[in-house]
Amino acid sequence: MSAAQQAETAQHAGDHAEDAAHGAEEGFDAGTVIIEHVANSSHDHPVLHLPHIEIAGIDFSITKHVMMMWLVAGFLFLLITLTTRRFLAQERPIPTGFMTGLEWLVQSIRDSIVLPNVGAKWVNTWTPVILTLFLFILVCNAVGLVPIFEVFGLVDRYVLGNGYSDDSMINSVLHGGTTATANYNVTAALATITFFSIMIAGTIAHGFIHHWKNLVPPGLAWPVYILLIPIEFMGLFVKPFALTMRLAANMTGGHIALLSILSLVFIFTQVFESAALGIGVGFTVAVPLAVGISALEVIVVMVQAYVFTLLTTVFIGMAINVHH
Amino acid sequence: MDNPLVQPDPGLFFWTILTFLTLVFLLKKFAWGPLLKALEERQETIRKSLDDAEQAKQELTRLQDESAQIIAEARAEAQSIVTKSRAEAERVREDLKEKAKGEADALLKNAERQIQLETDRAVQQIRQEVVELSLNVASKLIRKNLTQEDNDALIQESLSQIESSSQH
Repeated sequence: MSAAQQAETAQHAGDHAEDAAHGAEEGFDAGTVIIEHVANSSHDHPVLHLPHIEIAGIDFSITKHVMMMWLVAGFLFLLITLTTRRFLAQERPIPTGFMTGLEWLVQSIRDSIVLPNVGAKWVNTWTPVILTLFLFILVCNAVGLVPIFEVFGLVDRYVLGNGYSDDSMINSVLHGGTTATANYNVTAALATITFFSIMIAGTIAHGFIHHWKNLVPPGLAWPVYILLIPIEFMGLFVKPFALTMRLAANMTGGHIALLSILSLVFIFTQVFESAALGIGVGFTVAVPLAVGISALEVIVVMVQAYVFTLLTTVFIGMAINVHH
Repeated sequence: MDNPLVQPDPGLFFWTILTFLTLVFLLKKFAWGPLLKALEERQETIRKSLDDAEQAKQELTRLQDESAQIIAEARAEAQSIVTKSRAEAERVREDLKEKAKGEADALLKNAERQIQLETDRAVQQIRQEVVELSLNVASKLIRKNLTQEDNDALIQESLSQIESSSQH
């Protein structure tokens, strides 16, 4: 650990001790707390202290969002592979338990999302990608709603008595059950996957040259092309950009709303200098509202995963089945 | 750009793409590929089973129809056999009756004729004997009293009497 990092850690620990000693003297800054919960962890405090890799000025530190994605990916891989393997090892493939749900999901995505858009010829090429995309986004979205990491952090700090330290992996993840898909960089990367999937789908279906010719309908007067080609070219980038913004903004928005409402407890406590009032507001207003918004978020989590997946499939389908 | 919510983070971008592509590759190899294949196979199996069941059902219906037809035919044949035999029996009975009647008639006629013959012969014999007897008696009685002419006249008279009485 570098000296600078050590110093910062010490200062942070000091701040914390001060917080505990002086109570609400420093004041409660809802904005900072919310940002800290929603945003990625700083590169100065990576979750895993791998050797610092920096290629061309890019920092590849394992931040908590990377960590989150790895957890989600590992979870998905183990769950799906083990379920499928057990199902396929049977002499007669009868789905039981979780496999029933997985099979339903696989078949609905294949038959009602991929097949109508992509067509029977390419359905087996794109179904695995679309399935993985949907489940990855869904679980990344959903994990953010589960406050399990706060619980781990609290157990670590107060039960195991490890104290507060940014070097603790658990404490690094602690700042909010973090939602990787609320980060624009993550959704931009996923939209990039979509972008290249569209290219690849069009290229393998029509060939490289023909795929680009399909950008605009043939047989129009040349002045139309002057207008159309730039528009369609912009469209190439607008589609993934819209996907990026939609997913990240929806995820971030829900979390900010949730945290703002829960912050009312501390704001009331501070403004009226009464913990009882704060807790009262918590029980009567903040928690019921937060429960409502969480319920709404459950829907948003599923809808956004579905929308991202569906639009990706539609774009891929448009590149394969060109309708003009 | 101080806001951590909109900070560009190429490292995270890179890790996301790497993580996602790895996940796609692994899942496709170990889960989606085999699973999709198995699901397709099972769909095929189900379709085939249903087709087979449909075919078996049709076959069964056909066999049922066929057996019903065979039974109906057999029943009709049996009925016709019974009718025919009944008619045959009737005919045979009629024949026998006819024949028996004929035979009985013949026998009766024969017997009648026999009786007639016997009667005729007996009458003849009786007539003969009566004539002889009468002749004897008459000859004994009249031998002395009567002439040959009276004698013949008497014979003739008694003969005609006998004749007329025997006629009755």
